[in-house]
Amino acid sequence: MVASPVGVPVDLVVVGAPARPGWGTTLGRFIRRKPLGAAGGAITAIMLVTAVLAPWLQTHDPIATDATYTLGRPNAEHWLGTDHLGRDIYSRIVHGAWVSLLVGVGSTLMGSVLGGIIGLLSAYVGGKTDLITQRLLDILQGLPLLVLALVMSASLGPSVRNVIIAISIPIIPRAARVIRASVLSIREMQYIEAARALGVRHLRTAFRHILPNTVGPFIVLCTAQLGSAILVEATLSFLGLGIPEPYPSWGRMLSVSAAEYAQKAPHLVLFPGIAISLAVFGSNLLGDALRDTLDPRLRGSR
Amino acid sequence: MSRRRATISFVVVSLALVIAFGTPAISQTPKAGGTLNITQREDLPQGFAIHETSTISTVWPAMPCLNNLVLFDPLKKTESLDTIIGELAEKWSWQDNYRNLVFFLRKGVKWHDGQPFTSKDVKYTFDMLREAPDAPAKLRINPRKDWYTNVQTIEAPDPHTVIFHLKRPQPSLLMMLASGYTPVYAAHVPPANYRTACIGTGPFKLKEWRKGEFVEFVKNPDYFVKGRPYLDGLKYIVIAERGTRTAALQSGAVDVAFPGETTKTAAEQLKKAVPELAVTPYSQNVNDNIIMNMKKPPFNNAKVRLAVSRAIDRRALVQAVHQGGAVVGASMAPKPHGFWGLLDRDLNALPGYGKPADEKPRAKQLLAEAGVTPQNPLKVEMVTRAIAVYVDMASFVINELKQIGIEASLKQIETAQWHATATRGDYQIGANLTGIGPDDPDANYFENYACGSPRNYSFYCDEQVMKMIEQQSQELDPKKRFAQVAALQKKLEDDAARPLLDWKLDYFVHRPFVKNLIPHQSIYNFGRMQEVWRDK
Repeated sequence: MVASPVGVPVDLVVVGAPARPGWGTTLGRFIRRKPLGAAGGAITAIMLVTAVLAPWLQTHDPIATDATYTLGRPNAEHWLGTDHLGRDIYSRIVHGAWVSLLVGVGSTLMGSVLGGIIGLLSAYVGGKTDLITQRLLDILQGLPLLVLALVMSASLGPSVRNVIIAISIPIIPRAARVIRASVLSIREMQYIEAARALGVRHLRTAFRHILPNTVGPFIVLCTAQLGSAILVEATLSFLGLGIPEPYPSWGRMLSVSAAEYAQKAPHLVLFPGIAISLAVFGSNLLGDALRDTLDPRLRGSR
Repeated sequence: MSRRRATISFVVVSLALVIAFGTPAISQTPKAGGTLNITQREDLPQGFAIHETSTISTVWPAMPCLNNLVLFDPLKKTESLDTIIGELAEKWSWQDNYRNLVFFLRKGVKWHDGQPFTSKDVKYTFDMLREAPDAPAKLRINPRKDWYTNVQTIEAPDPHTVIFHLKRPQPSLLMMLASGYTPVYAAHVPPANYRTACIGTGPFKLKEWRKGEFVEFVKNPDYFVKGRPYLDGLKYIVIAERGTRTAALQSGAVDVAFPGETTKTAAEQLKKAVPELAVTPYSQNVNDNIIMNMKKPPFNNAKVRLAVSRAIDRRALVQAVHQGGAVVGASMAPKPHGFWGLLDRDLNALPGYGKPADEKPRAKQLLAEAGVTPQNPLKVEMVTRAIAVYVDMASFVINELKQIGIEASLKQIETAQWHATATRGDYQIGANLTGIGPDDPDANYFENYACGSPRNYSFYCDEQVMKMIEQQSQELDPKKRFAQVAALQKKLEDDAARPLLDWKLDYFVHRPFVKNLIPHQSIYNFGRMQEVWRDK
């Protein structure tokens, strides 16, 4: 046995970093430190589960009309009542969750990934490429999210795919900016310098060694944009440029005839309104909490 | 009884009658002046070019600027040959057993630009409409060309006489000439100009059209009817969203609703919120129907078309989509709203009009015979206009089709493209609304079912039906004509030429001070505004 300099046998010395805490511990710590964020996460998780299990959670076909029970108040058969065509509002909200989530996540991911790649390449290449890219993004960012989405949706026509594209485009410059800022600091680090010195190719350096280190800001960006995307989808549908009838969408539920019947049957606007508010509120709370947790400058803040 | 007692008794009885039945109505003397704010549901799709459109969105705001030869009396609710009055024509006369129609025109009438109105303008307009070989102008779209297929020539022997020479007798021609769809254009103005401006002879002159916002008219001081119009001006305010329109009526931001856009529920809500509002239920002469493109599969198969017709529960549609504010009928407006409607007994015997429990299995059977099975389902794209009343109907129909195994997705089309899309046949199946100018078989059948008509969106063409249309058109005996029209209605539904779903009612709303704005039995014919005045 070899003695250590302090006289303790070497095989008894515990060397290395402390063991990483498990998921349960991390989650518990997150809930304790960020209770609002945890509430937001719970709301988002419920929405996710509702969206995925919509066909099993529905009590009626969401597009089935019932002429004998139009504008019906909530009761045992129709938990949240029926709309002007006698369609079950609960089932439409449940399926609307799927549409909102699909559009929200789809457009956020599409916009963030495309924006992230543009930001990564712009920052990594630098020089004139960076300058031109940033000025183009300035132009794109100068247009308000909703206006740009409206123009895109009006020109592409209403469909799920087109709405995702319409909402994702305004997200691109925001994502590009966030990722570019991260890459600018990461590319100056010593391990990147070392990689270059070892002859690693540029694309490999960018995507293998820099990109994984932007995951934190990327997650924060996605959760922050999710709420906006859900809201824009609801707005587009409200304005008749979103998901086409008769498929349920929360925004369209608010617009199609709901405004006309709101006095007679307030549940037509109440429940879809609550659903939109909760979804946006949940994703915003979660996004804020994740930003505080993952950003070292804000870590520890409440 | 003494004379004194008799006098007292008379006075007491008179007072009692007055108390019981109220004071006798006192006819009000119209007041001149003021402006009306009127609802416009969307921007004018083709400006003021009524002859190039088939929508109330154009006819309603363009009518005050123009005049017809004849018009349905604006002060009478019912439209018939007996309620037609002269506008640009002072008198008219049928000659040679309904083969020649002679119009004697008003003298001293001027166009809004100061040019005199003459028989040349009438000949120019109707030669253009019927696409005569020597017509001096051509319309870009001519939806009602087939209204005039029976006109052989138009003669203008002097500046104030016009003669329509017909190929065969056609008493109904006068009904079509009295529709809001039939204004006279100025011969010295290219027809394309009406898409952006309006040179008419009408009671109001165009002041400004701010696209997407409003259309403003001012009183025509040189109008040929002395003392008319009463109003100083009209302002048609574009409000595209249905709920906002209702709110505008409630708040008083507009004085008059848009014809055909106030549902029963909205009217009830408005009346509850503002009890003094005037609400008039009337038949729009507009029907909900399904157009199926017969040039392309699968709807070139009569069995598939008939399955679609049988799948739709019309009475449920009336309840769900219109909250009871519509009536079921075949291709002519049902009684008591229309003159030509089928009796209930005959109507219920038509395919698709029976009990849903019987109709849906028969629809499935027809589909199975056409090769549509659960393993081989039929997927179609349904088109409709991007207006709430269309979308509601389409949503209902999609669910009905789903129940027999047809999966339909919905595509909404803006008004500007809608009629062109339907005319070209760039669709499979559509949820459509058809408005008929006057309640007359000629106006409906020549326009919507005749072979080759631009408004025959389904491209239905049947030789027997063409003969039946011609036959009823020249029939002078009203009873015989009624029977012929009934047979025609039955044949069209049997062929699922354009399955009719219902005839819509409108609950026309205006502020109580708006006088003499009387809805007719068609939304297209009462927008002249010449007699309207404000009691304020």
